[in-house]
Amino acid sequence: MARVGRLWIVSGAMTTHRTTDDLVVLDHVDKWFGDLHVLKDVDLRIGRGEVVVVIGPSGSGKSTLCRAINRLEPIDKGTITLDGKPLPEEGKELAALRAEVGMVFQSFNLFAHKTILENVTLGPIKVRGEKKDVAEKRARELLDRVGVGHQAEKYPAQLSGGQQQRVAIARALAMEPKVMLFDEPTSALDPEMISEVLDVMVDLAKRGMTMVVVTHEMGFARTAGDRVVFMADGAIVEEAAPEQFFTNPQSDRAKDFLGKILQH
Amino acid sequence: MRHARFRVAAAALLLAGGLAACGDAGSDDAEGVDVEVAENAADEFEDGTRMKELAEDGKLVIGVKYDQPGIGFKGATDDAPAGFDPEIGKILAADLGIAPENITWKETISDNREPFLESGEVDLVIASYSITDERRQVVGQAGPYYVTGQQLLVGSDSDIDSIEDVKGTEVCSVTGSTSLENIEAEGARPRGFDTYSECVDQVLNGTVDAMTTDGAILLGYAAENPDRLKVVVEPFSEERYGVGYSLDEPEMCQWIVDTLTEAQESGDWDTAFEATLGKSGVETPEPPAMDECPAA
Amino acid sequence: MDDLTSEFDLVLQAFWLTIQLAALSGVVSVLLGTVLAAMRVGPVAPLRVAAATYVNVVRNTPLLIVFVFVFVAFPNLGLLVGTPFLLKGVLAVSFYTAPFVAEAIRAGINAVPLGQAEAARAIGLTFGQTMGSVILPQAFRAVVPPLASVLIAMTKNTSIAAVFGIVEATARMRYFTNNSPDDTIVFLVFAAGYIIIVELLSVGAWGLERRWRVAR
Repeated sequence: MARVGRLWIVSGAMTTHRTTDDLVVLDHVDKWFGDLHVLKDVDLRIGRGEVVVVIGPSGSGKSTLCRAINRLEPIDKGTITLDGKPLPEEGKELAALRAEVGMVFQSFNLFAHKTILENVTLGPIKVRGEKKDVAEKRARELLDRVGVGHQAEKYPAQLSGGQQQRVAIARALAMEPKVMLFDEPTSALDPEMISEVLDVMVDLAKRGMTMVVVTHEMGFARTAGDRVVFMADGAIVEEAAPEQFFTNPQSDRAKDFLGKILQH
Repeated sequence: MRHARFRVAAAALLLAGGLAACGDAGSDDAEGVDVEVAENAADEFEDGTRMKELAEDGKLVIGVKYDQPGIGFKGATDDAPAGFDPEIGKILAADLGIAPENITWKETISDNREPFLESGEVDLVIASYSITDERRQVVGQAGPYYVTGQQLLVGSDSDIDSIEDVKGTEVCSVTGSTSLENIEAEGARPRGFDTYSECVDQVLNGTVDAMTTDGAILLGYAAENPDRLKVVVEPFSEERYGVGYSLDEPEMCQWIVDTLTEAQESGDWDTAFEATLGKSGVETPEPPAMDECPAA
Repeated sequence: MDDLTSEFDLVLQAFWLTIQLAALSGVVSVLLGTVLAAMRVGPVAPLRVAAATYVNVVRNTPLLIVFVFVFVAFPNLGLLVGTPFLLKGVLAVSFYTAPFVAEAIRAGINAVPLGQAEAARAIGLTFGQTMGSVILPQAFRAVVPPLASVLIAMTKNTSIAAVFGIVEATARMRYFTNNSPDDTIVFLVFAAGYIIIVELLSVGAWGLERRWRVAR
């Protein structure tokens, strides 16, 4: 089931994934920062197992969109549902829901006063009530999987940016989320560290994780994305399969944007 | 009675002659001593004495306590301080021909009594001023005009009635005072406060078992609240209150002693006591014998 | 001076009481101050208002008046009458110090990058868990120097208890100055006592700061 979306891509078929089994649904979502209209009537459906890459110029609202999905940014109008349930108000229920949505930030945001291992086990122990040894065992497996298992006892500041971001991914995965949100996960990294993080994300996509990725990495969008969502000025301007989007963008805004980034 | 008669007499005198020197002492203070202000008092004193100067000027500055009920106390709305010490002051002033309303009262606290006398800020200090050898090095102290001693102020239902009973109890006084030190030596737990009135509050609200300091001060507080407070135990120290004067004016001593002796004999001293400290319900004590003045 | 040497046990007893007063007040102030700080940054509006009001009212009240409330006004209303004096002293000092602690901690909380709280919320921690496991532990590190200043001021503030029935160091100093012809030496001895206590506090704070810095 989780592979369905990717198989369709391989077969070259165009699809919207909108018919069945939507995991995240944004319906007529609006948000303002004061007078600034940052999300304009956004409709988006993300299917189970789908990898959606959100691109667009800076200030287009793509980060806000990503953060709205786990309600780090509350919205002003419209609804967001996760697995059929609308996002609850701030409180215990929302906390429980957030546990099902993994989030990876641009600036890693590892807990500075905790070791790498503790960063990964904090959620499972505190939120899911796991026993420490169980949580640690799985944390070590996850750290091995993202390639930083030997750093488990260190503190975040002792790791490189790429290593820290991989730990952040492991920390999110430790909660066994239904969907992972990536908010410009490589933008704060030195160039030589970008690929080590993207590799982990590609691997995650291959394993069938549902992902929403805000990024400027077009290579990642092409290799791992099922769909590209192009945003500008707070609205979704264009949605398409990556190949189609990059080779034949429909809107002027997308053409303009692609023209600019391809020059560099 | 005597008071009413005096007022009539004073009024008659005023009507008759309108004499400026005439005093109607105590008419403001409903229950004070009716001092008889001496007429032509200046003539009584030898030239060159401080008393003569004061009598001629018709002015006298006396330092008293403003915060010890019964001894020297002035409420926020009062015109003049009331208490046993101001009464003694009025008696002395009257002998100089100075009426009570012409006395300038100045608040003194324990720490500034000597400086005030040495600088001439006040002419006399009558402020629960215990006579000690140390103090007599720097200022003159005539008297004692009253002898008291450390006692205990307790709630009227208290079981404490001898000094042995204070062992293990909480007793308050002013922080750092000798009284607090003495009561600690008797086995009480000392509770120092900044002022006597805060300490009395502690007794009244039941936080501490007793307050301790000079009996005279305690009597003043008991007089304010005779239903709820009482003064107990035999005095276990001796405090002899004297009238402070400047050592530059040694002639003041004999005059003070003579004037107060006269007041003791005439009954004015008793009246002063009854109108102030006596209101606590204690019997009026025998006036103390006064020390001889140092040879000039 | 003779009094001081022959009754030096009284000096030590008095400082022991000062230390007890300061230590207990320190613990209570930090706990109360932490709760106030958490209330102030928390999501519940009435608690935010309550904490802000408490901080502003008490921080703007002279310590002496707080003492008068605890030792005179409350007992006159029948409150705290049977409470031991040391405990009342701890209450008065803590009531007064907690707002300063709260403000120091709030500054520390604000110094923790916002991303830390977002990351904690993103893995599903509640507000309380976010505070307890992520924000406060980091805030305390940033807060050690200002908090040490608050606690040093608090230690010296315990001397107000001298005039509220507690025979701590300052009260005992008054006893000696009352008896001694040479006040200067008495002052020096007691000042030295306070300096030693405060220096120990400073050294402790310095140690904590260093240890935590290495741990990062």
